[in-house]
Amino acid sequence: MQDFPPRIATFFSGTSDAPTPDPDTRSPAAFLRWMLRQQWQVIVLSSLACLLWLMPLTFGPYIFGRAVDDGILGGSTADLLTWAGVMLGVVIVGGVFGVVFHTLVVRSWLISLYGTTQMVTRKIAQMGHVLPRRSPTGEVLSVASSDSDEFGALTEILARSAAQLVSYLTVAAIVLSMSWQLGVLVLVAAPVLLGAALPLLRPLHRRQQTERSRNSELTSMATDIVAGLRILRGIGGEETFGRNYAVQSQSARRAGVSSGIWQAAVEAVGVLLSGIFLVSLVWLGTRQVNAGELSVGQLVSFLGYGLFMVGPIRTFFELAQKSTRALVSARRAIAIFEQRPPWREPADPVPLDGRAEIVDDLSGFTAHPGLLTVVVSAVPEQSAALADRLGRYLPPDTDPVGEDDADGLKGRAARRARADRERRRARIAARDEEAATRAWGVRLGGVDLSAARLDDVRRQVLVSDTGSGLFAGTLQDAIDPHGRLTREQAEEALRIANAEDVYDALPEGWQGQLDERGRGLSGGQRQRVVLARALAVDAPILVLVEPTSAVDAHTEARIAARVSDLRRGRTTVVCTVSPLWLHHADRVVLLRDGIVVADGEHADLLEHDADYRSVVVRSLDDHDELGEGVPR
Amino acid sequence: MTDLLATSPDTWRDRTLDPPVIPPELHPPVDASPAERNRALWARHDLRRQRAEDVYDASRNPVRGWPVSGNRAVLAFFRDLLTSRKGMFAALVAFNALAAATGLVVPRLLGELVNTTVDGGGLPLDTLALAIVGVVLLQAAFTFIAQRTSTIFGQDLLSTAREYIVRTILRLPLGAVESASTGDLVTRVTRDVGTMSRSVQYGLPMAIISLLTVVLSIGAMLLNSVVLAVPALLTFATSAPAVRRYLRRAPKGYITEGATYSRINTTLTETVEGARTLEALGLSGERVRAGDDDIEVSAQAERYGMTLRNVLFTALNFAFQTPRVITLLVGAYAYTRGWVDLGQITAAVLYVEALGDPLDRLIGEVDRLQVGAASTSRLLGIAEVRPDREAGDRLPDGTDLVGDDLRFAYRKGHDVLHGVDLRLGVGERLAIVGPSGSGKSTLGRLLSGINRPRTGSASVGGVELVDLPLEVLRTEVALVTQEHHVFIGSVRDNIVLAREGSDDDAVREALRAVGSLLWVERLPQGLDTVIGSGRYSLTPAQAQQVALARLIIADPHTLVLDEATSLIDPRTARTLEGSMNNLLEGRTVVAIAHRLHTAHDADRIAVVIDGRIVELGSHHELVELDGEYAALWRAWTS
Repeated sequence: MQDFPPRIATFFSGTSDAPTPDPDTRSPAAFLRWMLRQQWQVIVLSSLACLLWLMPLTFGPYIFGRAVDDGILGGSTADLLTWAGVMLGVVIVGGVFGVVFHTLVVRSWLISLYGTTQMVTRKIAQMGHVLPRRSPTGEVLSVASSDSDEFGALTEILARSAAQLVSYLTVAAIVLSMSWQLGVLVLVAAPVLLGAALPLLRPLHRRQQTERSRNSELTSMATDIVAGLRILRGIGGEETFGRNYAVQSQSARRAGVSSGIWQAAVEAVGVLLSGIFLVSLVWLGTRQVNAGELSVGQLVSFLGYGLFMVGPIRTFFELAQKSTRALVSARRAIAIFEQRPPWREPADPVPLDGRAEIVDDLSGFTAHPGLLTVVVSAVPEQSAALADRLGRYLPPDTDPVGEDDADGLKGRAARRARADRERRRARIAARDEEAATRAWGVRLGGVDLSAARLDDVRRQVLVSDTGSGLFAGTLQDAIDPHGRLTREQAEEALRIANAEDVYDALPEGWQGQLDERGRGLSGGQRQRVVLARALAVDAPILVLVEPTSAVDAHTEARIAARVSDLRRGRTTVVCTVSPLWLHHADRVVLLRDGIVVADGEHADLLEHDADYRSVVVRSLDDHDELGEGVPR
Repeated sequence: MTDLLATSPDTWRDRTLDPPVIPPELHPPVDASPAERNRALWARHDLRRQRAEDVYDASRNPVRGWPVSGNRAVLAFFRDLLTSRKGMFAALVAFNALAAATGLVVPRLLGELVNTTVDGGGLPLDTLALAIVGVVLLQAAFTFIAQRTSTIFGQDLLSTAREYIVRTILRLPLGAVESASTGDLVTRVTRDVGTMSRSVQYGLPMAIISLLTVVLSIGAMLLNSVVLAVPALLTFATSAPAVRRYLRRAPKGYITEGATYSRINTTLTETVEGARTLEALGLSGERVRAGDDDIEVSAQAERYGMTLRNVLFTALNFAFQTPRVITLLVGAYAYTRGWVDLGQITAAVLYVEALGDPLDRLIGEVDRLQVGAASTSRLLGIAEVRPDREAGDRLPDGTDLVGDDLRFAYRKGHDVLHGVDLRLGVGERLAIVGPSGSGKSTLGRLLSGINRPRTGSASVGGVELVDLPLEVLRTEVALVTQEHHVFIGSVRDNIVLAREGSDDDAVREALRAVGSLLWVERLPQGLDTVIGSGRYSLTPAQAQQVALARLIIADPHTLVLDEATSLIDPRTARTLEGSMNNLLEGRTVVAIAHRLHTAHDADRIAVVIDGRIVELGSHHELVELDGEYAALWRAWTS
């Protein structure tokens, strides 16, 4: 039988775990079925445990009735003690299995919750940079953090509902055996009561949805205020945004009150309906006692069962609500899990040689082996695009499509919107696939990158783009995430990237903690730590995109000199327009409209190429924040 | 220069010695006898308790980040919230008491009914049945009103509490905001507000309702029959020690669970956002393992909570279920003695069955309230940050900015500035250059009144910057950093920050000055268009123009630009040149510069190295001087 945390090894094959099956993503219902099947033993056993836990409720009134009839009214002490003993036994069994049920339910809940989170992590690992092109970050996260909980809740309510159903049928059988009229009443009651209350659930559900969306809006406003707090306290605007928050908070309050009142109505109707059922049961029962068809003890049992009915009905209610929510969550989960990586590994992968020259057909760019080449472009996106191509990355040119229904559409409009989103996602996927499967157009030592294994490409060519981020952990983990450097190597990386001040600022040195995404470091510090990490990898071909854009001139000059020194003999490409880098370049390449239009040495080009001069000088003017362009 | 990495050998760790995320003692033994397994289970439970206590202690005494307030502050906070709503609170109690009381009448009437059926005396059956119908109707009505009252009460309480928290955040001292990490605050306004919400909105009313129901039920049981009630109640009471122990431990367990989930989410967020970095560096496998580790840790916290609950349930099951048997036996005996009738026994059994539920709920709610209180104490901690300045009543006389013998330390005894003197001419453009860590950003912060210098003074028009009221300071000097956050709000809201009363003409004027009036007017609702994350999204250039328009509205006579080259993203530079020029026109500017051409164009350049101004003069003077700046300039232009 499974236990938590479950062993999930689907989607991503980069760990040594033996793979586990992929989820069924054909439809939300199929996904939920797949998930339940993964741990059916746990669910079945917890359902059985629940049934035993419910025994005091199922048999209690019956036993009590018999005790009244045989023991109290019948005056038999022996019978009384027997029934009291039976009751004690039932209570003990119920108590023991209550604990068992709780243990199993926690287990099944957490298997689903942790399992979903693990699948999300593995999906991200499998898809890499392709996933953010297709799905909004927030949605990927919410599958792991909130939808996973709905799946857990579903396993619990399913186990409990099954047990309640059996228990309900048992009670109906007991009552039937005493009086067919009352038995029929019990059997009919649950569906009727449920049927009467279900229409109330839909408007309640809608109001709850409004409440949830207003609350999440409120949370994002609070987060927004905190994110911009420096500006609010530095420049002003506390009143405006404090007021905006208060307005939204009041609107969330109203939505909460409105859904709360519906909830109150649902509760009240529940009280009323079960009360009416109780009265009918009692009234019918007393008439039968008077007619001599029923004993007093049996009537007492019915009273107990009249109150018992609340349990199953409430459970079935919950089942209806939670399975709807689980289906919605399943749809969101599928939108993430059904994605497939666009890459196809070649049948006969050709090994790459990182010491060879790398050529991009589209731009006509060539990086000669062992040299430091600086790519200059008036439009930085174009050199970044070249870097992406050299590293075999799909360009960040898509608008991710989520599954969240922000407009609160209903019925047909919602279905249409859903179909539309599916189409848009499929379109992006098809485009990715098209780009990823044909010849890539970048050749390393004459081998097109698409002819090699993707992880071979990643090993040979390291692209450190402007989006490269840090992860929470110690400084040592940040510089040496793979754990394969010696201390001396790590020190050297820090020195070359001129990031010793980061080490110095942390009292615990290498074991000093960096916050998530390196928050708490200045932009320049972050950039230098990222650079140190990239240098320490020691890739055969290193492509750096704007590696020092947030670093001051003093430091940039030092870094450029040290990097060119360190990388001597290995291919390095730097995309920048900073003269401090150009100064150290073995070769400079000028891009215009993404095409190489000139290449050579910096000094030569500066002197002879008007285009080049205008870009480099132009770049100086662009930065001219004092606004007094001086003719050069 | 000292070697900054001098301690490196002492702090580098050998990762092969890293302990496993979960100590081996927390894994159940294999091939052990049942007795050993049982012993090991309780040993694990104790170990997990220790871990929970550690997490709890750490959350109460954070090493970094914002303070956490004490329990007394939390109690005072809730007391204030309740006393300011006395009427509402009274209504909540009254209606819930009525709903509970009518509910308790039903078993009593059912007992009556049994009596009538048995001996034919008492009220006629149909009357009783009608009475029950009436009571049920009343109960339904009271339930509705009571729940409605609780909702309105809970929502009101909640909205007041969260608005108070946000107002507190918006009053945080400028110096603290500039230096502290926002991560901790983000967690507080999301997770802690969420936890507090649940306990304020449901927990508090629910606890009150359950308590009422329990008290009234006990009353009803005693009214029904003292003989039958006392043994049952005594049995209920046997669970008290277990409940107390549970309530003492569970909140720490749940706070620990919460912390593990937020850790899972943080790791996952980083994994999603850094997906490309992970792929590039081949770290995906490590990241999957890190996620699995987080889950292992979380599972241990869950197991602790599970065992705590199992121990509690064992006690409760015994205490809540055996009274059925006891009531039956005592009832039978009392019946033979003629102390009670059958109706009372029936009612007593029904009461016993009904009491378990609210008691269960009460325990659950108290437990939830404690978790909520822990979050609330973290939220109220924000209010305990002491203000970093007290506004004087002197207003500046003139616009000249003067720094005199400025020294400053972030860590005690580690001055980063060593007595800097600087006098800015009105309308002057000064560039500050220097290597990272030289103290140039700190100098910028002192000159813009963010921090108070340790010694010396930074003043404008003869008044210390940090003694100015914030509203005045903002219109004198503004620090411009690389941040250009676009807030969720209308375009107007995003621009009028410094002068919130500005009319639309002023806003349009500012937009025109930075060259954005055209695109703003083309927006679907013009100035009222809601922009910001998740709303109408602006291009980077537009976002930067909005940031500049804010400063036009603020209209300070002096601007301190820190790393402002990053404010002007090179990709959008061309569009923004004009906008920036218009902003700087006619103002005194201190530019902390990354790029040397900035320095070249300035009136004067200050070269800051190791917390001192080592060179000060115009570009030509410094090149003549042939020092630090000249060397750099040669590297830049060669």
